[in-house]
Amino acid sequence: MNAYSLNRPLTAAELHQFGAELDALRARTIADLGEKDARYIRRIVKAVNYTEILGRALLFFGIFPPAWVLGTLLLGLSKILENMELGHNVMHGQYDWMRDPTLNGKTYEWDIVGTAENWRKTHNFKHHTYTNVRGMDDDIGYGLLRIFPEQRWRPFYLFQPLIAVIFALLFQWGVAIQDLELGKYFSGKKSGEQLKKEWQPLRRKITRQLIKDYVIFPLLAGPFFLPVMLGNLVANVMRSVWTYLVIFCGHFTADVELFPKSVLDNETRAHWYLRQVRGSSNMRGSKLFHIMTGNLSHQIEHHLFPDVPARRYAEMAPTVQAICSRYGQNYNTGSMVSQFSQVAWRICRHAFPSQPKAEPVLMTQEVA
Amino acid sequence: MTAPLLQRLTHTLVKPSVFDFWAGRLNPVWSWHRTLARVAERYPESADAVTLVLAPNRHFVGFEPGQHINITADVNGRRVTRSYSLTGIPRPDGKISITVKEVAGGTLSPHLCRKTQVGDVLELGTAFGEMLLPPAKQAQKHLFLAAGSGITPLVALIRSQAAAGMPGDLTLVYWASKREEFCFVRELRELAEKYSSFRVQFVLTQQSECLPDEKTGRISSELLMRCVPDLASRHVACCGTDGFVQATAKLVTDTARSFQAESFSPPTFGSDATGTVQVRLAVSGRTFEVPVGESLLSALEAQGEQPEYGCRMGICNTCACGKATGTTQDMINGDISTEPVQALRLCISRATTDITLEL
Repeated sequence: MNAYSLNRPLTAAELHQFGAELDALRARTIADLGEKDARYIRRIVKAVNYTEILGRALLFFGIFPPAWVLGTLLLGLSKILENMELGHNVMHGQYDWMRDPTLNGKTYEWDIVGTAENWRKTHNFKHHTYTNVRGMDDDIGYGLLRIFPEQRWRPFYLFQPLIAVIFALLFQWGVAIQDLELGKYFSGKKSGEQLKKEWQPLRRKITRQLIKDYVIFPLLAGPFFLPVMLGNLVANVMRSVWTYLVIFCGHFTADVELFPKSVLDNETRAHWYLRQVRGSSNMRGSKLFHIMTGNLSHQIEHHLFPDVPARRYAEMAPTVQAICSRYGQNYNTGSMVSQFSQVAWRICRHAFPSQPKAEPVLMTQEVA
Repeated sequence: MTAPLLQRLTHTLVKPSVFDFWAGRLNPVWSWHRTLARVAERYPESADAVTLVLAPNRHFVGFEPGQHINITADVNGRRVTRSYSLTGIPRPDGKISITVKEVAGGTLSPHLCRKTQVGDVLELGTAFGEMLLPPAKQAQKHLFLAAGSGITPLVALIRSQAAAGMPGDLTLVYWASKREEFCFVRELRELAEKYSSFRVQFVLTQQSECLPDEKTGRISSELLMRCVPDLASRHVACCGTDGFVQATAKLVTDTARSFQAESFSPPTFGSDATGTVQVRLAVSGRTFEVPVGESLLSALEAQGEQPEYGCRMGICNTCACGKATGTTQDMINGDISTEPVQALRLCISRATTDITLEL
């Protein structure tokens, strides 16, 4: 038994039942999808488009400080909404049932320097399938930070409180280059040729984004080139910092668990569910807060049901919480301030050498 | 030179979907590349059928009489696609028309018959279908056999013949269960009066005949002999349900000069998990038999295909690909999908009928 864990190991029969209850919740929700959900996501599209055009229009008058501030805020808001509630969720295939080609998970391209194609691989596949599995989920510290004591300490990590801040400002770039796995290239495990091949589509996307935000729109403003360019830069950084906060609070709070690769041996769907609950944490907040996080504030529900429209997580959450408490699993939730302070503590604490606690135990050992 | 450059520049600034969003605010059928049409007119065609006249945008490339087209509409948040025959002939104003018979328990037809209003927008596919009249060097003798909504491609052919002055000799035999279900009745009778080379025969299966151009009964060789004694000299075009087309084919194939047919039937699917079905890959053109009990992903891999995949448990959406035709079952929740879909998760889906995948 693991004395440190807030979670009770389940027997094989319990685990099976736990999975079946979550499956049933999912089936009930999927069966109810329809008009309301379609209207909702179209309203989000509308909000993204209107806030963008308003923000950009105001920035054209950015020589007047109030217009610049409001324009930048609106553009940042638009970019956040587009990345989180629209892009991230659509790319999970949450709205594929609508059969709308503009909301298709396989073809949606979002307004960010990283390509949707890379994201579908690093996030939808690696991160969601291997959540918090060491050596499999590249989101654990993004190869830059030591968040868990299980990660090997190196002197480089002493600088990580500072690096974490820089990383937050440049988060969209970190996400963009994540799939290039530069570490592999520098350690000689990836050929230069391969890297070049992977760089091509990313280069095109980056060029496109840079030309759009820092050349064409500023040029359209004529003499007010500079305020527009600066406004776009600040909006992009706003979006980077916000997504960084939301994502870090989802998996790096104090009580989330990290798993060794061996958990994946013959893993069942129910087992995977259990791992998602233990590896994720939620945030409490208002309806607007949930929308601005793309409902990733319901990180637990999102990880259990990544392809269910995110607007449904709020209504699913009480049932998930009840199931967790019946099976003795900690349902990790708190305010953003409380969750992020735990993350910040992890970043500072594990900059220094630290010892891992015992490995989490998902299932009781069957006595032969 | 400037147009493509302008397009590329615009494309960098706005995605086609965002362009469509704003264009749609100005005119609901304006679109970057999608074929959209506004419902311009709507009128009842029979007791259970409605004709919609559609005004497509500039992306519609035209059609030939006898062809059908995929119509897509939003029904309760889901886009639903069905094929409908175009019932008109090409018009100078570019408008097209479809006649929709309401299918009890159907999805799109009740929506088009009851909910769709003038001003609504529908999405169109490209016209397709082989139910065409061969360009004749000399006037030919035709027999059209229609059952129920099978009249729709044939009425387009009749209208195009009428527009050409009805050069050949054309007989239409048209079945319906009740009198009030016949479509285009007045127009067909007027054409028969105007042109001696055109005859129409209405056949009822659940009511008795009382007008000179009516008969009663299901299709049989005896009924055919009464309606068209010169069957042997006629080219036959037949359209209706699967059962009707098969019955007709048996009676007519050996007798008539030629026979072409089109049938439509509601999709059927087997519930047994044994046996095999045929999977056709539309892009690579490969076709193979796969066991119905197996997930499509592993079945395709067993055939040497290498579809993209990730989690193999229905989570990551990496293996999702388009399904053009056929019925599949979600192996996790048992849901049956008979619709064409854009993203079928191969890893958790099995085929229950022959299917076509966009791979």
